[in-house]
Amino acid sequence: MGENQENDAALRHNKPSTEQEISDELDLRMKKYLRGEGANLEVLKDKKLKGQLAVKEDLYGKSAKAAANAEKWLMPSEGGYLEAEGMEKTWRIKQEAIAREVDISSSGKQYDIILPELGPYTLDFTSSGRYMSVGGRKGHLGIVNMINLSLIKEFQVRETVRDVVFLHNELFFAAAQKKYTYIYNREGTELHCLKEHGPVLRLQFLKNHFLLSSINKFGQLRYQDVTMGSMVGNFRTGLGSTNVMQANPFNGVVSLGHSGGTVTMWKPTSASPLVKMLCHHGPVSALAFHANGHLMATAGKDKKIKLWDLRKFEVLQTLPGHANTLDFSQKGLLACGNGSLIQVLRDVSGTQNYSRYMTHSMVKGYQIGKLVFRPYEDVLGIGHSMGWSSILIPGAGEPNFDSWVANPFETSKQRGEKEIRSLLDKLPPETIMLDPSKIGTVKPKKEKPTKQEREAEIEAAIEAAKGMKLKKKTKGRNKPGKRVQKKQEAVARVKRPYIEQKIQEEENISQKKQKTSVGVELPKSLQRFARKKASS
Amino acid sequence: MAENKRKEKERDEGNRRRQKSKNKQKRNPQQKKRGPHLPSSLQKQLDRLNPTTSFDSLDSDHDNDFYEYEEERAEEESKKNKRYDPASVPDDISPQIEDENVQSDDESEDADYIGTKRNENVPSDDSGEEDDERHARMLQAITGMPSEAFQDKMKKLKKDTVFPELHPESEYNPSQDVVDGDAHITIEDLLNPLHEEPGYAKLRKRMQQIEKSAGPTHVPLSKAIQAKVERKAAYEISKKDVTKWQPIIQRNREAPTIFFDQNVDIGFSTVGAIASEFEPRTEFEKNISAIVYDDKVMEAHKNDGSKLLEMNKISIEDEKDRQNLNAKIRSYLFYHEKRAKRIKKIHSRVYHRLLKKDRLKAKISQIQMDPEAAKEDALKEERQRAEERMTLRHKNNNRWAKRIFKRGLNSQDEGTRAAICEQLQRHDELTRKMHSMKGSSSSSEHTSDEDEDENSAGSDQDRAYKLLGKAKEKTMEVLEEEDEVPESGVFSLPFMRREMEKRKEAAVEEANLAFQEYEDSLKKLENSGGLEDPKAASTSGRRVFGTAKGQISDTTNKVKSDNCYGGSDSEDDFGTGKSGNIENEGNDLLHKDISKNSIVAQEDTHSHQESVFKNIDEIVKNPGPKTTYEVSILVSDTWKKAKTKNEDRTIKKPPKLTGPVKQDIKDTEKEFEEDSDTDSEGQMVDGILSSVSKVPYELPSQEELVRQVFAGDDVEDDFEKNKQEILNEENPEPEKPLSLPGWGQWTDIQQKKGLPSWVLKKHEDAQKKRAEALKKRKDAQLKNVIISEKIDKKAEKLHTKSLPFPFTSKEVFEQSMRVPIGPEFNPATAIGPLNRPEVVKRPGVIIKPVEFKEVNPHEKQGQRGGDKRKFKKNKDNGGNPMKRAKLGGKS
Repeated sequence: MGENQENDAALRHNKPSTEQEISDELDLRMKKYLRGEGANLEVLKDKKLKGQLAVKEDLYGKSAKAAANAEKWLMPSEGGYLEAEGMEKTWRIKQEAIAREVDISSSGKQYDIILPELGPYTLDFTSSGRYMSVGGRKGHLGIVNMINLSLIKEFQVRETVRDVVFLHNELFFAAAQKKYTYIYNREGTELHCLKEHGPVLRLQFLKNHFLLSSINKFGQLRYQDVTMGSMVGNFRTGLGSTNVMQANPFNGVVSLGHSGGTVTMWKPTSASPLVKMLCHHGPVSALAFHANGHLMATAGKDKKIKLWDLRKFEVLQTLPGHANTLDFSQKGLLACGNGSLIQVLRDVSGTQNYSRYMTHSMVKGYQIGKLVFRPYEDVLGIGHSMGWSSILIPGAGEPNFDSWVANPFETSKQRGEKEIRSLLDKLPPETIMLDPSKIGTVKPKKEKPTKQEREAEIEAAIEAAKGMKLKKKTKGRNKPGKRVQKKQEAVARVKRPYIEQKIQEEENISQKKQKTSVGVELPKSLQRFARKKASS
Repeated sequence: MAENKRKEKERDEGNRRRQKSKNKQKRNPQQKKRGPHLPSSLQKQLDRLNPTTSFDSLDSDHDNDFYEYEEERAEEESKKNKRYDPASVPDDISPQIEDENVQSDDESEDADYIGTKRNENVPSDDSGEEDDERHARMLQAITGMPSEAFQDKMKKLKKDTVFPELHPESEYNPSQDVVDGDAHITIEDLLNPLHEEPGYAKLRKRMQQIEKSAGPTHVPLSKAIQAKVERKAAYEISKKDVTKWQPIIQRNREAPTIFFDQNVDIGFSTVGAIASEFEPRTEFEKNISAIVYDDKVMEAHKNDGSKLLEMNKISIEDEKDRQNLNAKIRSYLFYHEKRAKRIKKIHSRVYHRLLKKDRLKAKISQIQMDPEAAKEDALKEERQRAEERMTLRHKNNNRWAKRIFKRGLNSQDEGTRAAICEQLQRHDELTRKMHSMKGSSSSSEHTSDEDEDENSAGSDQDRAYKLLGKAKEKTMEVLEEEDEVPESGVFSLPFMRREMEKRKEAAVEEANLAFQEYEDSLKKLENSGGLEDPKAASTSGRRVFGTAKGQISDTTNKVKSDNCYGGSDSEDDFGTGKSGNIENEGNDLLHKDISKNSIVAQEDTHSHQESVFKNIDEIVKNPGPKTTYEVSILVSDTWKKAKTKNEDRTIKKPPKLTGPVKQDIKDTEKEFEEDSDTDSEGQMVDGILSSVSKVPYELPSQEELVRQVFAGDDVEDDFEKNKQEILNEENPEPEKPLSLPGWGQWTDIQQKKGLPSWVLKKHEDAQKKRAEALKKRKDAQLKNVIISEKIDKKAEKLHTKSLPFPFTSKEVFEQSMRVPIGPEFNPATAIGPLNRPEVVKRPGVIIKPVEFKEVNPHEKQGQRGGDKRKFKKNKDNGGNPMKRAKLGGKS
């Protein structure tokens, strides 16, 4: 009950005493929904536009207020954390202690599954956290319903399995096997064999874009559209093979950690990385992204764990220690696994200053391969060399789920409807960019100088040429006629590049015109006899 | 009082006159001095040319006068206004008078009049005097006053006419009569004789009223000016009228949405309301209404239902009859339905065929009996034939047939094949020439009947012979046919000719093929003869299919077997292809073993595992260049062992490593141990379990090890170089100024000078530009970050090309776009107003013109919403609806 009591205590502590505080809190929430400041309308000269924008801003404000109110008063439950009293330290509280205090259903979430034969296990949860897929290194694949802990399907592929990942729902999952990647359905039927991906080391699925991305042994990053089956992107990273790969949940950018200590970020429509940053001096061993997309955690073999601000690409915090695997929970807890020890870090003050929150050590000799927080639950899934385990981390999961986003208690009908809806809302691959909020704004241009600017430039150049001082030359070279001629020449020389540029542009335009006009003039049957002009 | 005033006016008048004359005296010499002086001869000439100028110049004197009104004079001249009698006011008189005035400077006014009178009297003649006399007499008769009084008046009147008054009458310029004193007939004079008349008092009262109110009446303005003034006034008024609309219009313009669907009466809301409006128009309707609105019925309705019932009385027998009839009909329908169902259920072909036959027979008999029916039938048939020729519906052109052919006829069952045959036959039948059909009408019947067809296989064969022979002949003809090469026209063009030749060749080839085919089929016919199975012989169409089927089925079998072979062995093939890859072979072995042991595996998993491991052992025994890490793990039999003998295993694992590498590994192991030690130490400080072993679980492969060991050496340098490369790629460095060998190096001087300055300058500029571009980059300040500046062309369509119209600044536009307005992002209450269109209108609502309503222009939109609600409530309570005249639809 400790956790609950603590939660209650936290609630009591958080309870606003006056209306003022409530309104302050609402204001804070409103700010979140306003998504930044409104434009300064005083600058506008167009009165009509000003009026329209003012009305719009007013509506935005109202909407944000309504949303804030809904969030404040309608959210069913609030999250809580372990809170220490006096000399207590939260990281000294053991799982057993927690188990003694929590209710039966929660204590049921602490367990170890020991499967020593089929090697280190890797895990993946569906977005609702209801299903878990497990993949044993030696070919053991399975799907588990996490609510009643029943095994839905378990089968052996008799091949190395390096990674498993769920597709958009629990019906399909992909497994990176020895030679190829396969897609299975829930019943364990092999649906597809993705031969093009090659021997894949790590898989990621981008839910909003329906893209399955993979990195293989040869360092090739591939994106495949799982709806149509088309290969969207296929890039050579050129930085060696790696098995550190994570997709940013905020913008769908896939990041890779390389042996040179660099982290590269990719999108499916460009062959060169969007960002390449040197994060560690040793090889990068793990990567994780916060759900808000602004925070990245990297771990390197140089015994450092770093937290990065992705808006500025700067280090926020450097922590000592190794980590084989990292994961952020929905509420922003960071789990690091190393050897058989798990550390969970928490941003206590809300200033991106992570400090130790909880620790857990597995049985000696168990090697942690993968840590994944279960969505909408205070549970951390651990895949290790002897099977998989699950421990309680209070305050890890989002306490309120939005059934439009992910519903842990989904019926099959709802699932079907959601599948259709998500397919209709599928985003094209080019929408993956570093800042997706830039979509819909004015196209970023390589500024072409305007006509006026160009004219001004020419004029300035001519003036400069005219003002040039001529040397005093001897013997008839200094005649006024010669001097004038020289000046004229200088002016002409200055002008030439601009004129050439102009001519070039005109030519381009005329060529384009010709291309279009030739197509129009002749009837279709005679077009093939059209004489091709030398210029085009 | 009035007289006093007059006197004053007189005095004023006198003074003014004097002043005026003085002014004139003064001014005249001045003018002479000042004005532009033309030579006299010229002046004369001018005068001759336009005599009016002299007059004008004279006239200008008057115009410049202090009191004189230019307009007046001009009107007089132009005689626009008919008030001025041309006879009474001759033009040439006025100057004379003026002259006189000038002369008689100090004379009294009376003298002035005398003078004028004298002048006037000269032109007046007797007839005028006679008129005067008559007029006086008339006046005397009317007023009853002595005629002398009028005589005097008349004289004065005459004087009056003579004296030209150039100004409008006003208090400053009274008429001559007024100046002279009481000298004209007043309304009083006219009224006095009416003293005894009955309506006198009333009349007098009115007159008094008029006199009281009436001031001096002005001369009406000219029409144009009057119109202008009127327009101005009207404009002012209408402006005032229009401005009252301004707040309403402004509000409408500023409103984010305009509603047109409020307070709308959609008309009839109930059926009753609609029915009440109904008026019978047609005869039928009138009849009905006459019955419905029958007086008796209406009365009955009004009074009681009982009367109605009386009127409705029906005899019991009638009712019984009706019921019986209904029951009969119902039962008949029921039986009919049953029968139809039963018949429909019958799938027997024979039955249906018989049924069809019956129908046909009936039809034929009908045709025979009834000439009209025969005609109809013929027409119908003709139509069918025509349609078939047009559409070729039965020539395997429909989708069903196409699909079947696509799948292959052989894969179809008997039924479909028969159906296709039948269809083809039908096509044949329908497109056969008329005379042939007529000739073999009996045979066509045969073909339609399958049972009979089976017997007629022999005849079919004969026909086939004939047909093939014919076809042969025809193709021969085509082959032998000489084509004419056109000499002129489009076909004579070279490319066309080439095309034709090509086509010809193709045709010849085709014909040859066809030829061969015919021969083949002929041979077959000869060979098979009557030996063909009855199925194939059943129809002419089927025969071909049958033989084809046999062949194809063979081939498919072959293919199938091939496929099977490929399918089973494909992986093996792969394996052998990559002969070096032992894993693969091993896999295959595994597969095989598994397939062998599958039953065993199902029975006992443990044994199965053992078998697997056996296989793996076998693999390991195979000498191969590579055994992977995973396999080696498998080799070390069980996991429990691995757990206990952790360190042993780590050494064992890389079994195929060479000596020096092994050393390396040991070294690295040591390193790792050290590492782990330090780690544990660090955690000891924190007070955490130190018992946790820090030995890495897997010892990475050698490649990885090497990479790990040597990776961190000069990572930063590498990265910097990489960054430079990328920068150079994205912002290329300008080319260095090249000196062409020999160019500009003729002399020492030139060599000393080096490159021309402009080249250097250009280079410098380019470098500066590049530096600036680099500075502008996002990663300019970040040493360890490269942010690509490449523009993604595919993502360009997600941006707007240019600022949309009303926006002028990018920032404002982007700020206005920052909040999503979809239902996923907003609470349900906010979605409506966020996405409301500019005009909300229900279909069918008539938009009325804007009505006037008092609106506070400074009122805000939001407040109005509240007002609206209040307003509605008010209306419910009831109030003055007129005052609340509403804007048409809006608000």
